[in-house]
Amino acid sequence: MRSAGVVLGICALSLNAAERPVEFNRDVRPILSDNCFTCHGPDAKTKNIPLRLDQEAAAKADLGAGRHAIVEGSPEQSEVIRRITTESKAKRMPPVYTGHSIATRELEILKSWIASGAKWEKHWSFTPPQSPALPRVSTPAWVRNPIDAFILERLDREGLKPSPEASPETLLRRASLDLTGLPPTPAEIDAFLSDRSPKAYERAVDRLLASPRYAERMAYRWLDYARYSDTNGYQFDGERSMWRWRDWVIDAFDRDMPYNQFAIEQIAGDMLPNATAAQRTATGFNRNHRGNSEFGIIAEEYAVEYVVDRVETTSAVFLGLTLGCARCHNHKYDPITQKEFYQVYAYFNNVPEHGRAMKYGNSPPVIAAPTAAQQAEARAIDAKIAALQSAIGARAAHTRAGMESWRRTVAGSQTSWPLASGLEGDLSKILYDIDDRFTVSARIQSAAVPHGAVWSRMSNSPRGRGFGLYAKQGKLHVHITSDYDDDGIRLNSKTALAAGRSYNVLLTYSGSRMAEGIHVYVDGAEVEMEAELDSLYRPLGNAGKAFKEPFRVGEGGGPENRFNGSVTGVSVYSRVLNGDEITALASTGPSLLYYLDHAAAPEVRAEWASLSALRRQREALERSFPTVMVMAERGERRPTHILNRGQYDKPGEVVEPGVPAQLHPLPAGAPNNRLGFARWLVDPGNPLTARVAVNRFWQMMFGVGLVKTVEDFGLQGEWPSHPALLDWLATEFVRSGWDTKALLKTMVTSAAYRQSSAATHELLQRDPENRLLARGARFRLPAEAVRDGALAISGLLDGRTGGPSVKPYQPDGLWKELTMQDMDYVQSHGPDLYRRSLYTFWKRTVAPPMLANFDAANRESCVVRESRTNTPLQALNLMNDVQFVEAARLLGQRMMRESGATPSERLRYGFRLATGRLPSAKEAEVLSGSLSYHLDYFAGNATRIDEFLAQGETRPDPALDRRELAAYGAVGSLLLNLDETVTRP
Amino acid sequence: MNPLDQARLSITRRHFFARTATGLGAAALGSLFAADGPKSAGALPGLPHFAPKAKRVIYLFQHGAPSQLDLFDHKPALAGARGKDLPATIRMGQRLTGMTAYQASFPVAPSIFQFAQHGQSGSWFSELIPHTARVADDLCIIKTLHTEAINHDPAVTFFQTGFQLAGRPSMGAWASYGLGSENQDLPAFVVMVSQGTGNAQALADRAWGSGFLPSKYQGVKFRAGGDPVLYLSNPPGYESPARRRYLDDLASLNEMSQRELHDPEIATRIAQYEMAFRMQTSVPELTDLTKEPEATFEMYGPDSRKPGSYAANCILARRMAERGVRFIQLFHRGWDQHGNLPREIRQQCQQTDQPSAALVRDLKQRGLLDDTLVVWGGEFGRTVYSQGTLTETNYGRDHHPRCFTMWLAGGGIKPGISYGETDDFSYNIAENPMEIYDLHATMMHLLGVDHTRLTYKFQGRHYRLTDVHGRVVRDIVS
Repeated sequence: MRSAGVVLGICALSLNAAERPVEFNRDVRPILSDNCFTCHGPDAKTKNIPLRLDQEAAAKADLGAGRHAIVEGSPEQSEVIRRITTESKAKRMPPVYTGHSIATRELEILKSWIASGAKWEKHWSFTPPQSPALPRVSTPAWVRNPIDAFILERLDREGLKPSPEASPETLLRRASLDLTGLPPTPAEIDAFLSDRSPKAYERAVDRLLASPRYAERMAYRWLDYARYSDTNGYQFDGERSMWRWRDWVIDAFDRDMPYNQFAIEQIAGDMLPNATAAQRTATGFNRNHRGNSEFGIIAEEYAVEYVVDRVETTSAVFLGLTLGCARCHNHKYDPITQKEFYQVYAYFNNVPEHGRAMKYGNSPPVIAAPTAAQQAEARAIDAKIAALQSAIGARAAHTRAGMESWRRTVAGSQTSWPLASGLEGDLSKILYDIDDRFTVSARIQSAAVPHGAVWSRMSNSPRGRGFGLYAKQGKLHVHITSDYDDDGIRLNSKTALAAGRSYNVLLTYSGSRMAEGIHVYVDGAEVEMEAELDSLYRPLGNAGKAFKEPFRVGEGGGPENRFNGSVTGVSVYSRVLNGDEITALASTGPSLLYYLDHAAAPEVRAEWASLSALRRQREALERSFPTVMVMAERGERRPTHILNRGQYDKPGEVVEPGVPAQLHPLPAGAPNNRLGFARWLVDPGNPLTARVAVNRFWQMMFGVGLVKTVEDFGLQGEWPSHPALLDWLATEFVRSGWDTKALLKTMVTSAAYRQSSAATHELLQRDPENRLLARGARFRLPAEAVRDGALAISGLLDGRTGGPSVKPYQPDGLWKELTMQDMDYVQSHGPDLYRRSLYTFWKRTVAPPMLANFDAANRESCVVRESRTNTPLQALNLMNDVQFVEAARLLGQRMMRESGATPSERLRYGFRLATGRLPSAKEAEVLSGSLSYHLDYFAGNATRIDEFLAQGETRPDPALDRRELAAYGAVGSLLLNLDETVTRP
Repeated sequence: MNPLDQARLSITRRHFFARTATGLGAAALGSLFAADGPKSAGALPGLPHFAPKAKRVIYLFQHGAPSQLDLFDHKPALAGARGKDLPATIRMGQRLTGMTAYQASFPVAPSIFQFAQHGQSGSWFSELIPHTARVADDLCIIKTLHTEAINHDPAVTFFQTGFQLAGRPSMGAWASYGLGSENQDLPAFVVMVSQGTGNAQALADRAWGSGFLPSKYQGVKFRAGGDPVLYLSNPPGYESPARRRYLDDLASLNEMSQRELHDPEIATRIAQYEMAFRMQTSVPELTDLTKEPEATFEMYGPDSRKPGSYAANCILARRMAERGVRFIQLFHRGWDQHGNLPREIRQQCQQTDQPSAALVRDLKQRGLLDDTLVVWGGEFGRTVYSQGTLTETNYGRDHHPRCFTMWLAGGGIKPGISYGETDDFSYNIAENPMEIYDLHATMMHLLGVDHTRLTYKFQGRHYRLTDVHGRVVRDIVS
């Protein structure tokens, strides 16, 4: 509908505009804002334009020579009107080059407003909502809850009547799709139809809200807002792991976390007192932005972009404001200065992060985020460890005595005392790449000041790729180098080793890819290291190829780096050793740990071996924990500058964090940091947050927001179709303790929601976009629900909640033809093919094609407005994509297996599975005709049948007649392609 | 389409089919597919703003950034500076990518390829592109494009959408949104990607995305091998007559809903299924090169028989132009020659030179060049100094945003001229700089669009392809 925007944009005004007095906020300001504010608005000063029309005093001030832009009561004397209507092209406003012009109707509004006194109002959305009185309506009996009073009051004014209630089948289907994203099952429909109680519908709604499917459905929209993705974006677009954050969102909706808490935890959960792992995970919200790992970028440039993205996303999602428009200059429309943009920016500019993202995986700050099952497993292992430790501890004195007598027997007979626990014989399994944790211990001695490589694994040139531990004129030096210039970690000890002495030097690395993950010990004592470079982002292995350099002792990095003494007793461990172990390795004599490993009494050794095994198991488990990128605060606050023209390399004045002056102040006692900002967002004095939230929920339930511009509540945003209703919902939401389920229940149990969506000629003419709701909303399902619906209808849907993203069917080669290094899509198999679409792996640069075809948000940046188009590519997708062909066959199979023996029973059943109702006689006739046709089409043609039934990974039920199954499958496809099947009724 | 008009056409199927070419179908389908007729279907009211010189665009995007110094921007004076450090007076402390910012020196690397003047116009071409040189008098060579971006992803995004970060519509999407389609059975905006032999950088769907415009304006990717358009083919075992019957039944059922609910979207959906069916014929017909005469393949070169090659895509581009596709964009990867430039650029040129030139000649001989604008170029240029070691036969070049060369042909472009001059090092612009916004503005102008007036309101702003920039470069318009 190309012209839809044009037609609908004026809808709020055109409806009955003539019959009501002009209101500044609703009627006048939009005209001034859209046509005048670019120059005569908040940013006028920068352009040296003296006149501002966004402020009352300025707009009515003396312009000199007795002229005033606006003269209360006198359009004729108002310069604004003169300049709009002047014959002189040179003087006419808005200037031709802007492409804007004031329509006659708009001019009339301006004149009438000025004539009636030019009354000014604060922009509506910047004034906190007050709970409005319920309006009087023509038909109180229609009103089921206050929503209906507001809707009906408007219909009364328009002279329209609400539509009758939709059929029970339609109603259940509608609520099921809106609340859970899935169609109702026949059993659910039967139960609903047989429940004669007046509470039947409410009970059904309660059931839907309690379903885990509800949480998933709510979550997938939130993922759009939060630009969630499984890859980093930009050029290389390597994989990242944020699904633990995604699962946090599902869980929050499932538990009906109050929306204010939902907001605080996502913005600043890490800063809450005693923040839990879940609260820190929640802050992944503002780490979901894209991360650039392209070689050669200037890191500072992208560090700025990340913070800007956080501000833009946070302001769009919670405030419905386009703060990003004030990045380069004062906002052109809204009263937000460039300085204020950077003050908000300052709240998000204190993350210990680097502008260049990791090429693969998560970029710091990152936390381990074990799943509930993993946490339980860890607890179980910990309990076993504790039990063994106490058993071993109980015999400590006895063991020590045994150790002493053993020590005497071995004195002088042995020089190396390596630990058994974690010692690796096969070096190819460890020290592999920058994510691997390890410990390397060695003893060194040199007659001169120690110099050269202790050990290394790197290409054999001084600035080569790889890693190693060195002595440089006595000082210890550690490096991990992907590119010597700017991609690596380099650390140097502050103190130096002496000539002639023997030292144990031990290095541990946690695999964190950061300097903080490296620790160096000399003779068991940690050495203070200074970072020369801490910017590692590309792995050593690349494009699926392992890093092949050998592990060398006493050399590496060219001949000049050969060690100038002896290196002995090198031992390598595939984990980070603990303090006891490090001490043991440092000692030159036999240690207790060695004794426990090798020489103690058999039962003690057995216990000790079990304990070691458990520790290894614990560590392996820990290493399997998924991680998630989170927000964190730097110790010392990073200063924030205003960036001239928004450019990273043009820093100006330093600013303190702060909230925009036009909005309410920080709540009393709130700290002026990100946590304070989060509290400010959901402070009852915030005029926007609740309105913006309820408006988006309304969009989910009714297809369009009460404010259609869900992303913009600023001056350029749309005037609400029902302002009082919006305010009632917002105040009620806050009053209920920000209870999302309660809010949705109120919406879906209203009479307005329950109306039939059948349109009439009159209604289409009066209200084509159905903003007045004289009929129920009807719109195509979101992309996710189109696919999930087909999976549910066919019985393929896999019901597991959460977990790593999966890769369902997708045409071959889509990744390969665009990505680098032959990164290819490796399709999942089995049940993972049939999981709900919010679990589909999202690659930013090559989005899942089916979801993209059906208008899914792009996940490159925050998208809050739902969009729906209707294209032939969608038709091809539903008819021919293997996912839908397979689902169609399974639907055919269900018809044959789960229903009666006659074709008509089977077709009725299939139709009901797809649409939630029974077919009319005429519909049944078409279906039966289609079945006969396809039975003929497949008759005697085994090749056709075989090919058609072979689509997808599932195999047909061998008990069924194959020709019949193919025919039912074809009809199944027809059913999945019905307008009704892909439409929320 | 206005839902009202659609609803008024609560029509029978027979009536519907009879009218798809000019009536409901055309209007309902907006821009993605639309009907023949005196005016392009799906165009915005008032567009084109004035009589267009070009009805369509074929944009040959050389992805990775070809070296202007080795193809077009002849700098004979560099021979004397060979191996010397790039003078500070030239570099003037410009920011460099992280790939060469740490280099100890910036040795000047003159091109090792021979240059000569060609055609009446006497434009310079290197020996790498002999075929392009032969169409010299059809080309307008612009040597002074420049960009802000110095890395591929932002630079391509900037070229395609007028902004370095993701989120805005691509130029093809703007054209499709503003001007609609001239073919009822094909998309208004088609994209084809081919693989070069050189260092390939990643591309992204967003390069032809619709940004904040409705998704139906995004480019439709045509692919070689498998379905030319995703999901185009019926499932195995399911053939066209069955599909026809299926669609009739589907339409019958959907019309029953339509009669009950009067939802205009249902009528649109019925029409879209019909379009899908027509595409199942029109697209394979378009992509089937078997009926092309031998002469075509000779003209476009040996690669042109290989589906998915740049050369084959050039033939397809011509076929799309013949069928009225509004915006045809080819991406050829592999131009990112940081090292081993002499060897790699030669291979890239072998793949692209002949087909690019053949396309211009072919369009011309068919009378299509007059109203088809052909654009050739990458996302930025390459440095005059060598990245890595400079030897007698080898060098590499880093990204260079400050000047680079593109060529345009046909569609109202002044033929046989060079525009703009760079300094002796092809490092800075000496005269007539051209911003990417200017290129966009000029392209739009040739399509009959005033770039300042094709806007879309999003997040409270009236966005346009050229943001607040862009001027039509009249010097290159005939």
